[in-house]
Amino acid sequence: MASSSDLENPNAISSLPYSYAPLSDGEQPAGDEPTTGLHPKKATIFFVCAFLSVTFLVALFAGNEHVLPKDLSTNAAPSMAVTPAITTPLSRGVDKGVSEKSFRPFLGAENSYPWSSNMLDWQRTSFHFQPENNWMNDPNGPVFYQGWYHLFYQYHPDAPVWGKIVWGHAVSKDLINWRHLPIAMETDQWYDEQGVWTGSATILPDGQLVVIYTGSTNESVQVQNLAYPADPSDPLLINWVKYPGNPVLVPPPGIDNKDFRDPTTAWKTPEGKWRITIGSKINKTGISLVYDTEDFKTFELLDGVLHAVPGTGMWECVDFYPISKQAENGLDTSVDGPGVKHVVKASMDDDRNDYYAIGSYDAYKGKWTPDNPTLDVGIGLRYDYGIYYASKTFYDQNKQRRVLWSWIKETDTEASDISKGWASLMGVPRTILLDKKTQSNIIQWPVEEINALRTNATVFNNLVMEAGSLVPLYLPTASQLDIVAEFELDEQTVMRLNGADVAYDCATKGGAATRGALGPFGFSVLAHEGLIEHTPVYFYVAKGVDGNLKTFFCADQSRSSTATDVDKSIYGNIVPVLNGEKLSMRILVDHSIVESFAQEGRTCITSRVYPTKAIYNNARLFLFNNATAATVTASVSVWQMKSAEI
Amino acid sequence: MILFILLQIHGITTLKRNQISPPIKHFFNMKFHLLILLSIHLLQTPFITTGDRSLIESTCRATPSYNLCMSTLLTNPKSSTGDVSELGLIMVGATKAKATRAIQQIKSVYRSRPDLRRALNECAQMYIAVVQADVPSAVQALDGGQPKFAEDGMADTAVEAQACERSFIERGHKSPLTKMNKDIENVANVARAIIRMLL
Repeated sequence: MASSSDLENPNAISSLPYSYAPLSDGEQPAGDEPTTGLHPKKATIFFVCAFLSVTFLVALFAGNEHVLPKDLSTNAAPSMAVTPAITTPLSRGVDKGVSEKSFRPFLGAENSYPWSSNMLDWQRTSFHFQPENNWMNDPNGPVFYQGWYHLFYQYHPDAPVWGKIVWGHAVSKDLINWRHLPIAMETDQWYDEQGVWTGSATILPDGQLVVIYTGSTNESVQVQNLAYPADPSDPLLINWVKYPGNPVLVPPPGIDNKDFRDPTTAWKTPEGKWRITIGSKINKTGISLVYDTEDFKTFELLDGVLHAVPGTGMWECVDFYPISKQAENGLDTSVDGPGVKHVVKASMDDDRNDYYAIGSYDAYKGKWTPDNPTLDVGIGLRYDYGIYYASKTFYDQNKQRRVLWSWIKETDTEASDISKGWASLMGVPRTILLDKKTQSNIIQWPVEEINALRTNATVFNNLVMEAGSLVPLYLPTASQLDIVAEFELDEQTVMRLNGADVAYDCATKGGAATRGALGPFGFSVLAHEGLIEHTPVYFYVAKGVDGNLKTFFCADQSRSSTATDVDKSIYGNIVPVLNGEKLSMRILVDHSIVESFAQEGRTCITSRVYPTKAIYNNARLFLFNNATAATVTASVSVWQMKSAEI
Repeated sequence: MILFILLQIHGITTLKRNQISPPIKHFFNMKFHLLILLSIHLLQTPFITTGDRSLIESTCRATPSYNLCMSTLLTNPKSSTGDVSELGLIMVGATKAKATRAIQQIKSVYRSRPDLRRALNECAQMYIAVVQADVPSAVQALDGGQPKFAEDGMADTAVEAQACERSFIERGHKSPLTKMNKDIENVANVARAIIRMLL
């Protein structure tokens, strides 16, 4: 039943949404500046004599406090699991006692939290890939080989923070349940001593598998290296061999030693050679270099670049692949022809987002041109409007689809990551197809195998929600959910409404608390009963003066947690809605990660959420319509998701 | 430097054995030698060419705290020969030094202020995270040419410093670490700004 309580009439004032600290404005007043050091020109003999003994002692005993020893990073890694000596373990009961006693008049809310182990334990996900502990970043060399899906990944075995990186490894039959395997490649050669960085796999026509990856050498030069399975008949690909002639590529002239990384999967050229591309930059222009090879051991640098976009900075994790204009299947990376477009994707170092563009590839020249230069790589469309970086696709020949993996980082503090002993997830793998209806973007959708985790469906059809309504959906648990819903705004209100050209965007307009005539409406996930904590995922429809509707799809973390040291941004973007289409969304809730999809994957948002109260049995799901005028009719299916084996 | 001074002292004491001079005259001699030595040492330390200084100045101007940036960099001899990456490393080092001192300060307050222990514990955890995780990661990232991870480390450090301050305020206490927390937040933000120039 729909209740008429206003969504934003909270029982308690939630704490101020601190987002990650922006750089502080302005300078310190001079008086606060620490004065250190001596001004030599003012030294007089009297001055020097007066404290000769002092300086003598200082010269003997002073540590070089301001100089950071370069070998710091190779010191014995601290044991991250050990809590600091002076910390006494905090029991939950004591925490509660503390929070009830202290009162904060100007914040109003119940006192927050130290992060209890209960809260931190809850954050670990149930169906997202993550190693058992410590730090992960980019996905590497994803491939389907002899019956198994392989995922390698950037892994720091010593701490839940980036460091000297090796290749972690896991295998799966279904992209959902995983078996962790030993580290595939360590930093055991001079050419990858500072890190075995990102790389890609290519399956040759005869079934051979090769990997090209970036090594950070003992002098921190970025080079490309060849590696291959020690035993190609081992479907688990446990052991790897590094080509003795490594590196196979070093930074070419004009390219900085530290701007040369993340080689792609190779594809065939018209001459029958193999071609790869590697991202880089020249000043502030992001570029992608092109190399041809016949044996993956010697390479020829092509003139020019695959593509370049000024002002975008370093292009990391470049990806290049064909998509079919007509068919509903993915294409092998070497496919080309009239029915094919090509996508160029790059991870922008400057703003930590993954951008892509659709265009045309000239195989003879080794160049690619975007269909729409105003939406070029780095300045146009993103794969995902939340936390999503260093993504990489592969062609899954098993099911003839192109599958996308991505690194999802934490947005809490490092102190919390150390307490919980891990950091980072992979997103649920997604299939990629050209959106046949718009022809100008791709659509992404969670791989169908994830549906096997669905159980206990709860279905509501044609639930009518008046303006300003909040509907609790009673579920046994709400930390692991798959939600699919369709929404319809009532025609009358939409038609009658006078349009206005008030600009809206997800990030800066106050999130779900900001009411418009035709929105926001959607779900509040990971919601506490009193809505002290909740994460709305919603549509906001705006009618322009010209009568056209613009639909925004947003995920709002501003009230996701009473904790003050987690990111509370609001993410999202416009989603194209074509005539006759209902508004549809899908949300995967998996503890501290929420993945949201609008219009069958036209706009996607990945969020990290760290509630302190809306956890375990206290996590709830609400449906809401916070519009001021329109009635919304919703049809909803909610499944509880089983945990995968990871 | 120190070796040089020690050698001189050895020379002077040898001199003392070989010469018979009034103690005061000899003492004056010793002081004279040391004076020359230390003057050279002190003169050298912050000596920076105009060219290097202009890199430091332009770098610091692009940070939120010009004065803090200048004083931290100028007192480090490595800033005279360093590129922006080296300047970033110096600032990361300064952050580490301040965070290490914060941990010491927390320990000393801990005994005398049992009423603040919960907040102090939290702060200790945060600064230990800075020293043991954020800083080594930032150094590895700056050395290795993936500056974004260094930026993340310094951004996190500023967040930890703010969170430490809040952990007192939220419990209705006056924070005994306000200046320290602010210093760390500022120096981390300067480091972050320098690191961003490398992206």
